Amino acid sequence: MKKIFLFSLLLISSHVFADSGSRLIASGGITGFEGTAGGGITPWAFIGGYTSKEEISYSANVQYLSLNDYTLKTAGLGISLFDRVELSFQRQRLDISSGLTSNVFALLTDGAITNANSATIEQDIIGAKVKIFGDGVFTQNDWLPQLAIGAQYKKNRDFDSSLSLPDGSVPLPGIGVPLLLGAKNDSGTDIYLSATKLWLGYPSGYNLLANLTARYTRANVFGLLGFGSEGDDSAKLEWEGSLAVLISPTTAIGTEFRTQTNRLGGLAEEDTVVDAFIAYFPNKSISITAAYVDLGNLPLQEGSSGFYLTVSGNF
Amino acid sequence: MMALFIRAITAALIAIFVIGCTSTPQQSLYEEIGGHQTLNTIYGVAITRIYTDPVIGHYFKGVPKKHLRDRLVTQTCELIGGPCEYDGKSMVESHTGLGIKEREFYILVEYVQGAMRDVGLTYQQENRILNKLAPIKYETIYL
Repeated sequence: MKKIFLFSLLLISSHVFADSGSRLIASGGITGFEGTAGGGITPWAFIGGYTSKEEISYSANVQYLSLNDYTLKTAGLGISLFDRVELSFQRQRLDISSGLTSNVFALLTDGAITNANSATIEQDIIGAKVKIFGDGVFTQNDWLPQLAIGAQYKKNRDFDSSLSLPDGSVPLPGIGVPLLLGAKNDSGTDIYLSATKLWLGYPSGYNLLANLTARYTRANVFGLLGFGSEGDDSAKLEWEGSLAVLISPTTAIGTEFRTQTNRLGGLAEEDTVVDAFIAYFPNKSISITAAYVDLGNLPLQEGSSGFYLTVSGNF
Repeated sequence: MMALFIRAITAALIAIFVIGCTSTPQQSLYEEIGGHQTLNTIYGVAITRIYTDPVIGHYFKGVPKKHLRDRLVTQTCELIGGPCEYDGKSMVESHTGLGIKEREFYILVEYVQGAMRDVGLTYQQENRILNKLAPIKYETIYL
């Protein structure tokens, strides 16, 4: 249904300017792992792509994050309308190695079962962002940032997908990994407010970008481990930030953080996520970003860090 | 490998900030880039391209190149610390009624940016000049 909505928007928009857009290169950020434009792990107030008030552009992205026994692959599509509205659809797929699922069973059964199949958790995210105030790039004569509010509706598709054993049996029918770890719901909506500002020529003649995002969320590990818990089903305020410097017309380096609620605790304890990235914008049609991401604890993997690679296209 | 990646990016960020905080420019940006002559070349290059642009060229029909060039040079000279005083029509005045779109403004910005690069300004000089020119956006579009 939502995909049909996106595609019909594509059709009705064919009469306005639809190329990658006219805004300055790199000012659209990249597409984050939740499908929203900004940094890799946090939305910015900038609308994705390079649309001006008169333009529409589309985006597509593929992303890969390797975290030892976990691998997160995501892909998605987006549309940016008139430098005002951004809509996106992202599918995330978290692969969990059989080593980890085997450990889960070993723990649950006191070692009676020590061998399980690998598992997958998929999540869909439908995002909408609206610029509400300001021009974070061109109002260089005052300090006011650009502001945007947004929502990410997230639906975990494997909330109740049971883990299976090599012989095909399902010891815990109807209980997926999120449920097993104590999550209450299979869907939730994050609401965020982002403030973003670019300083042209500072520091040292380079361009500095700073972003702060406040997110109101029930998600456990971004929703990959479901939403809420039995004891705590209220949304919490979390903070995210990015600091980036454009070191050349086509290259940005920077760092980000993102706090998490840690509602589930125990095995699924959540830490603050941090990353350092380098993004390359050879032209307005494509960007390639490499990052090192540290998520801290994931279930049964205390230090979860690894390389993140994403390619976004605008057209 | 990963630790190296993080360290390299952190070091680069710190280096940029430290250089930014310690360097005290002795001369104005205007003098640094080569004064009137450089600005005149930049706008000469940019205007040639702007006048032949299929989207925005029509706005400049009947405007003598020399006239526009002199005004842009004087205005930029003043904005970047040169010994000039712009006494032409205000930007708002000269753009009112034209209905210039944001897209068209961005096209012009990219011509000026491109000219600065072609003339040999550094990326840093280019950004520092753009910093001063950027607010003009809201004195030109949708008026």
